[in-house]
Amino acid sequence: MSTVEAPLYPIAVLIDELKNDDIQLRLNSIRRLSTIARALGEERTRSELIPFLSENNDDDDEVLLAMAEELGVFIPYVGGVEHAHVLLTPLEILCTVEETCVRDKAVESLCKIGSQMRDNDLIEWFTPLVKRLTAGEWFTARVSACGLFHIAYPSAPETLKTELRSIYGQLCQDDMPMVRRSAASNLWKFAGTVESAHLKADIMQMFEDLTQDDQDTVRLLAVEGCAALGKLLEAQDCAARILPVIVNFSQDKSWRVRYMVANQLYELCEAVGPEPIRTDLLPAYVRLLRDNEAEVRIAAAGKVTKFCQILSPELAIQHILPCVKELSLDSSQHVRAALASVVMGMAPVLGKDATIEQLLPIFLSLLKDEFPDVRLNIISKLDQVNQVIGIDLLSQSLLPAIVELAEDRHWRVRLAIIEYIPLLANQLGVGFFDDKLGGLCMQWLQDKVYSIRDAAANNLKRLAEEFGPDWAMQHIIPQVLEIANDSHYLHRMTLLRAISLLGPVLGSEITCSKLLPVVVNASKDRVPNIKFNVAKVLQSLISVVDQSVVEKTIRPCLVELSEDPDVDVRYFAVQGLQSIDQVTMSS
Amino acid sequence: ILSKLPRKSSKSADNREHGGHHNAYYSSVSGGGSRSSDFGTGKSANLSVSSFAVSSPTTDVGWKSADLKQNGNHMLSSYEAMPAFKDVPASERQNLFVKKLNLCCVIFDFTDPTKNLKEKEIKRQTLLELVEYVTSANGKFSDVVLQEIVKMVSANLFRSFNPQPRENKVIEGVDLEEEEPSMDPAWPHLQIVYEFLLRFIASPETDAKLAKRYVDQPFILKLLDLFDSEDPREREYLKTILHRIYGKFMVHRPFIRKAINNIFFRFIFETEKHNGIAELLEILGSIINGFALPLKEEHKVFLVRALIPLHKPKCLAMYHQQLSYCITQFVEKDCKLADTVIRGLLKYWPITNSSKEVMFLNELEEVLEATQPPEFQRCMMPLFRQIARCLNSLHFQ
Repeated sequence: MSTVEAPLYPIAVLIDELKNDDIQLRLNSIRRLSTIARALGEERTRSELIPFLSENNDDDDEVLLAMAEELGVFIPYVGGVEHAHVLLTPLEILCTVEETCVRDKAVESLCKIGSQMRDNDLIEWFTPLVKRLTAGEWFTARVSACGLFHIAYPSAPETLKTELRSIYGQLCQDDMPMVRRSAASNLWKFAGTVESAHLKADIMQMFEDLTQDDQDTVRLLAVEGCAALGKLLEAQDCAARILPVIVNFSQDKSWRVRYMVANQLYELCEAVGPEPIRTDLLPAYVRLLRDNEAEVRIAAAGKVTKFCQILSPELAIQHILPCVKELSLDSSQHVRAALASVVMGMAPVLGKDATIEQLLPIFLSLLKDEFPDVRLNIISKLDQVNQVIGIDLLSQSLLPAIVELAEDRHWRVRLAIIEYIPLLANQLGVGFFDDKLGGLCMQWLQDKVYSIRDAAANNLKRLAEEFGPDWAMQHIIPQVLEIANDSHYLHRMTLLRAISLLGPVLGSEITCSKLLPVVVNASKDRVPNIKFNVAKVLQSLISVVDQSVVEKTIRPCLVELSEDPDVDVRYFAVQGLQSIDQVTMSS
Repeated sequence: ILSKLPRKSSKSADNREHGGHHNAYYSSVSGGGSRSSDFGTGKSANLSVSSFAVSSPTTDVGWKSADLKQNGNHMLSSYEAMPAFKDVPASERQNLFVKKLNLCCVIFDFTDPTKNLKEKEIKRQTLLELVEYVTSANGKFSDVVLQEIVKMVSANLFRSFNPQPRENKVIEGVDLEEEEPSMDPAWPHLQIVYEFLLRFIASPETDAKLAKRYVDQPFILKLLDLFDSEDPREREYLKTILHRIYGKFMVHRPFIRKAINNIFFRFIFETEKHNGIAELLEILGSIINGFALPLKEEHKVFLVRALIPLHKPKCLAMYHQQLSYCITQFVEKDCKLADTVIRGLLKYWPITNSSKEVMFLNELEEVLEATQPPEFQRCMMPLFRQIARCLNSLHFQ
């Protein structure tokens, strides 16, 4: 809504602009609808504004979208919940427009409003709206209707409930695949509101019909809601009716269906008992892990840890582990990467011995993978392994992997490994870090790519936070400060950046004694970019050091810079001086 | 070799050692188009028949999965060429034809170029013989033959397309039109099957009244699904075949129009991604050309609800030529539609995409040529406003 800086539009202007030719002005007005409503008052909002909006539905999609969004939070402006039903009319019309995002927003808003309405009002206003939409001639109305049933159903009396269920059933068999798709994706939402007896009978029938639909796309969506639906049933019903469907689909000809199943499988495990898991779901999952199509293997691999968490360790070792071994040698790098991002999580599940014996070789081989993403994914999850077996067994292989990633050709890979350094430092401890990784961190400060240099500076800051100022004094500061003499101006700029980040962390004393002199020195650099960055750094350090230091060291330096021939240097120097003055005034 | 392949008693249809979706043991046949043929392939004998079982009596006409499994094995262990048609007496030829059709129901894995070379060649030769037979046939195809033909074609053609390998998806958006389309490695066989299907549909010996039981709605639906293929050769065949089907099977015409509509709707409202829009529009172009006057309400609704919104998606360039033709056909048939069309174009007029705008202007020009004064009067004002905006545009030349 309007922030303090936005001009206060006169209400009359806003209302006029609702009808303006220029779309930007209309849009602006629509976004301030609540302001208009507040000015008009509840009575006039109900009797004038809302009808006006209902008639204005032949507008640009952007305007309609904004309208749909605004109406969703309009209940207070029409006088509270008892009047909420007036908002239904314009939203009903928006539910039927062509543009998908407008319809979706309208449905969302209707759900928001409906969930706040009282039962009587729902029966009197909301449910008839739903019925009108389902009888809509054009499919857009029917598609929207599917998303509203779960709001209308709970408060309805028995006869109305039966009617609603039957209407939904018809939508599931609608002529147009678009409607059937919408019915399929909303089925589990609707099912969540239906009583258990009807769930087993009517809803399951709808589900079964959808899973046998002609259209691939409809079946896919039905499968997607499988797990959610399964959780609503009791375990034995779920096992009897949903499980066979899923197992069947796990062998479907179409890879998209199998992919969908791979995503859903472990969730379904939570809904059925342990016996069906062992006999049906486990074999199905193993098949998917060995599927022909890489995309399916990727999806299945990504769930391997979650799946193991549900199984007993013996079953996991017996059935899943062999597949994991195969996947770690898969020909597709994306499969290996997907595996790498979750496989560490298996360590807590399998326990220490099994981890050392079986998983460790897999970790190590992935750590040496030629594809950088695989290595990165392993490194990112080290803490999970650390909890179980400690890092020492890995550390020997870890370092070469890190070094290789740190020098990778692609800068994004280098960036990613920098992000993990603080985590590694935490896990591996100071000693390991000092020996091996310190050099790398310095190296990055002079990388060719700006993002890397910037991330490296940030990295130093986080390390200083992790290991403390004393450590930083000993290990980082000397090397960093040497960069002041570097001949390349970009490196000198990086130094300034690092100082500005480290200052607050290391505290006033170190800043004054070590960092500030370097900065002041740099103010005599011959490159203007350095000079105005000095001004910026000085400004940021004002809050770190004592007032006396500010007056004695920082201010004179800034004054000198404010008389520099370069206009940018003068500008930033003046900014710095101004902020000193503000601080002085406020203290 | 093939008999040595491990026979999994489980229902696994997809086995790493076998190729993708083409599984030699459980060739997924949809004989006549069973609606549930897409899942639950290859029922082994010990599968409990649940309500989702594939073989329902009406759909898998006369073909039982158990038989196929035995047949399949039998075929593979002795996959040999049969005698040529000219070598058998005329009375035997139909039988031989059916046997050859069955031979071709076995699907081979082409992802491994070294596997089953001998068998693949045999199948290829057999397919060529089938094409020859159907082209020179003398005498109407019997019911049994029709059924077997559709079964063989379904087994070979109806498959789900492989996903794009991820290497192609570069982060810096690659222009979709410039990507190398991935060709199905099984094209050497597929192409002949398509040729066969085309000749079959076009053949005077194919009686539409008899054949429509097998070339039925599910079959057509699956054919339409294939239009999303990346291979332009495949789409070219499909276009011609569908066009012939439309011409020959009059009873299916409303269904075909409706199914194409649904594809367009999904494309416009849900995915904005489909490789075959241009081909479908080409077919529609000649269908529209053949509309009788006065135009039926259904066709006008199609214009407003499907054709005009087709101007919205980003990839309009891929099918604009065909779309433009369809639009102008409509206006030439019924000049009163010009107003609707022009207003539609104005509604979807691109705001920032200047190359799309050029396309719109070209189309507008063609439509205006067919526009009469009364209609023009009705849409003059917004039209000139839009033209003014174009003249003021930064891209104006």
